[in-house]
Amino acid sequence: MRRKIIKIIGDNDYSSFTILKKELKVSTGTIYHHLESLSQLIEQKEDKKYYLNDLGIHAYNSLQDNIETYITREFSKKEFNSPILKGLMLITPKRFITANKFNYLQVVIISCGIIILGAILSYLNELFPLFLYFGDFYLNVMGLSSVITNLLPLFFVLNYLVYYLIIEGLCRLFYRKRENALKFFLSFSFIFLPMQLYLALHYLFLITNSLELAIISIIDNVVLIILQVWALWIQTYSLSVYKYIKIENSLIISLLVHYGAFSLVLLISI
Amino acid sequence: MQLKNYLDFRLLGIIGGSFLILSEFLAWFSGNTLLDLFILYLSLEIEFSFLYLFPIISGIICVFGAILILYNEEYRINTVIINFIGLGFFLIFLFELIPREFPYVVNAEVGFYFAIAGGILIFFDIINILLSREKE
Repeated sequence: MRRKIIKIIGDNDYSSFTILKKELKVSTGTIYHHLESLSQLIEQKEDKKYYLNDLGIHAYNSLQDNIETYITREFSKKEFNSPILKGLMLITPKRFITANKFNYLQVVIISCGIIILGAILSYLNELFPLFLYFGDFYLNVMGLSSVITNLLPLFFVLNYLVYYLIIEGLCRLFYRKRENALKFFLSFSFIFLPMQLYLALHYLFLITNSLELAIISIIDNVVLIILQVWALWIQTYSLSVYKYIKIENSLIISLLVHYGAFSLVLLISI
Repeated sequence: MQLKNYLDFRLLGIIGGSFLILSEFLAWFSGNTLLDLFILYLSLEIEFSFLYLFPIISGIICVFGAILILYNEEYRINTVIINFIGLGFFLIFLFELIPREFPYVVNAEVGFYFAIAGGILIFFDIINILLSREKE
């Protein structure tokens, strides 16, 4: 019943009580009871009509994508409206990360663009990609630095594929989720979007020789940390949308992969 | 006697963060604290000098995250994201420091071990927050 109410209001942008009663075919008292239960998602404005608030719109979109588990009881309005999550949701490319209204052509074109740009930037910066980390490790292995540098675009694409396979594998292993594998794969490049920004900024610092300045060096590191967190959030959100996994479970996968990759990077560096 | 009656595992974050903050003022290599090394490298205008402040920055951010969840349990995802950022500083520090100081790591002093313990505690804090959420 509550899902129906959210859907009626969401489909029409707003709804009057009369329309709700006509559509739901239940008693006035029952409708009032459910409207009161949905008070965190719905608001009645001065024109006496019912509208979805920010959380309600999000719940409506989630229902469209069949991810009713996304808004859990614990994932409260207060937390959703906190500056951090509100900010992260604002910069998440939600339009392209959706299970139902998936535009294959648009997503494939943008994804190819992101991968090509990433491969070029990785080559220009001479940074070896390892999941969401970029460093000059591996480059001096056995005096093959020039060969490895020339192959960096290829390594970037391989990194994309391996990263996807590990995340997809963990989802299947831990949560037995096989849904939307192709959609998830096609839009997986959006996770790398923040890292392209980092690579572009790093290249700018590199060509201007400003990385030798202490303050620029620290800015470079801080930007990397913040953009990695943004990328992890996009990854978490994508997992929730495509695999119907709760945000907290998606975060566990992100955490394991990210810190697992870090351990690997540290071992390689040594 | 049940241990969980006396222990609040949400304190892992505060303890871990405090360890990281403390490690800044404890000896790491040859009796030098990270603060000493920071001041020394800053005076020599070496580009990675600020890196030696990362453990304390990491500790402060993680303590803030831990306090946030103690203040209001609803802010769990926020706490995890704040801890991601905090731990990110520590990981970048290790990532830059370990290859550079690797020969000296075997002779590392108490500060190094405090920082590692702090990082591990924060990692467990994040896992604890996410898993306890699922249990509910």
